Amino acid sequence: MNLFDIRNLSIELVGKNENTLAVDRVSLSMKEGEVRGLVGESGSGKSLLAQAIIGVLDDKWKVSADRFHWRGKELLHLPVEERKAIITKDVAMIFQEPMSCLDPTTTIGEQLEEAIDNSLLTGNFWQRRKQRKEAAIKLLHKVGIKQHTKCNKSYPHQLTEAMCQRVMIAMALARQPILLIADEPTASMESTNQGQIFRLLASLNQLKNMSILLISHDLGSITHWTNTITVMYSGQFVEAGTTSQIFTQPYHPYTRALLDSSLKANSQVPTKSRLMALPGSIPILQHLPIGCRLGPRCPRAQQACVSAPKVKNYHGHQVSCHFNLKDSYR
Amino acid sequence: MSALLEVSELSKTYTVRNHWFQRKAIVALEPVSFTLDAKKTLAIVGEMGSGKSTLAKLLVGAEKPTSGKIKLNGQGLATGNFKQRCQHVRMIFQDSSTTLNPSLTIGQLLDEPLKLNTALNELERSQLISATLLKVGLLAEHMYFYPHMFSGGQKQRIALARAIILSPQIVILDEALASLDPSLRSQMINLLLDLQQQMGLAFVLISHDLGIVRHFSDNVLVLCKGQIVESGDTNTVLKNPKHKYTRKLIMNQQLQIAGKL
Repeated sequence: MNLFDIRNLSIELVGKNENTLAVDRVSLSMKEGEVRGLVGESGSGKSLLAQAIIGVLDDKWKVSADRFHWRGKELLHLPVEERKAIITKDVAMIFQEPMSCLDPTTTIGEQLEEAIDNSLLTGNFWQRRKQRKEAAIKLLHKVGIKQHTKCNKSYPHQLTEAMCQRVMIAMALARQPILLIADEPTASMESTNQGQIFRLLASLNQLKNMSILLISHDLGSITHWTNTITVMYSGQFVEAGTTSQIFTQPYHPYTRALLDSSLKANSQVPTKSRLMALPGSIPILQHLPIGCRLGPRCPRAQQACVSAPKVKNYHGHQVSCHFNLKDSYR
Repeated sequence: MSALLEVSELSKTYTVRNHWFQRKAIVALEPVSFTLDAKKTLAIVGEMGSGKSTLAKLLVGAEKPTSGKIKLNGQGLATGNFKQRCQHVRMIFQDSSTTLNPSLTIGQLLDEPLKLNTALNELERSQLISATLLKVGLLAEHMYFYPHMFSGGQKQRIALARAIILSPQIVILDEALASLDPSLRSQMINLLLDLQQQMGLAFVLISHDLGIVRHFSDNVLVLCKGQIVESGDTNTVLKNPKHKYTRKLIMNQQLQIAGKL
């Protein structure tokens, strides 16, 4: 059964005269126990999509979708309170930059205890305090922090970035979510720490059957950890499929370019040779091209690209391009 | 033939006041020696706290070395002599947006090193600025723009323009490619390689991404806790790592994908 299923989700930025379409009809669905990667460069709307799923976007943004199902329930039609109740119970999110997301004025221990809900504690009210403390320590152990007393007493600035990220994960795990959304969990981290965080997430996925939506800007760095991957560009859906489909036979020119530019992925290129790179840069929200937004940068663009392409499905490998690369693999 | 840059027994020790009268010495960099030729790239890899950035600061002259000598073209570089050093050794930082002054236009930003280091008049300076902007793939009109009007990749290009405007011999890239998006990163790598060919630049690349190191550099130094544990030709070191620490670094990054497919 699908955990959640989103069809044609659009997110608009409400303006004075006209609305800007920041995310343009993106579909995303996840099964239980799946690790899905969501890949896109900065400004591709991937964080916006994640925020729309947990419903923290404010009035400036207008979210509309053909279908927004969470375990068979249509979320957009529910009243806000009910929706919030479902989301807080089942979904948790790790935000970018753990240092700035933790409260600098309170200790880690207090913040962790705050994240533990009363419904998770079983004892009478005089036992709760102790139970809460124990639960917080247990959470720290779960994410691989052994010195719990030292960690609980310290403030966020006293810990390293990787430690803060672990604390954030511990907080997210407090309510035992079914879906964990990790928004660039390893940005600006050293490779050894990156590996540790990813291994932790992978073990949670296997032991708890927790689904993970892994958001990243670098296709090369997450392929090892994901089952399926969705690629976005500038708010539009590009390609989705299993990791090996995307990695070995990308159908969209953009995915192809991402893979070619990733130095980890193709280590057989001669050193100091010119790398494949798309010309230009990512369009800004005020000046979006019409039709396929990759158009002006795309090596395969033709006249038809001024109208947005429809999503084509080849055995679960979805691609949104008029001139996709499917035939070039024969 | 003497090398472009010769570093011998360079080290750095910080002293921290531990107690009232006790002083504690923290060794950030043990004595290191290496050489760098023109048109070559030296990569420095290592984990956090391995002394990579300390080495960069020493080379560029932002810190005073505890011991050792840096020689450029056989001439010794003195620590306080910025006039000599700024012309030849330039640096690009990781986060380019914070290194650009938001209240100055790009033209004014690029004008500053010229005013301080050259005897050019105003017309010559503005001509040189527009030529440099063209060289890094921007337009001459961008002179009149402010830093906030640029995207991240363009800001990194401006930082590069500021580095090469004095036609230096060595450019130090301190994680300069880490925070860029993949497609912009390959554009930037192409640009750097082109400039290396055209201007005969030597790069000192500080990075933790071994993919970039493999593609970009000729020689590599592996630093661990301030010590050089391995050095040599990039390909030989990465293909055939001798030291345990180097092997660990490579394991962490590159075999991830190889294991999957």
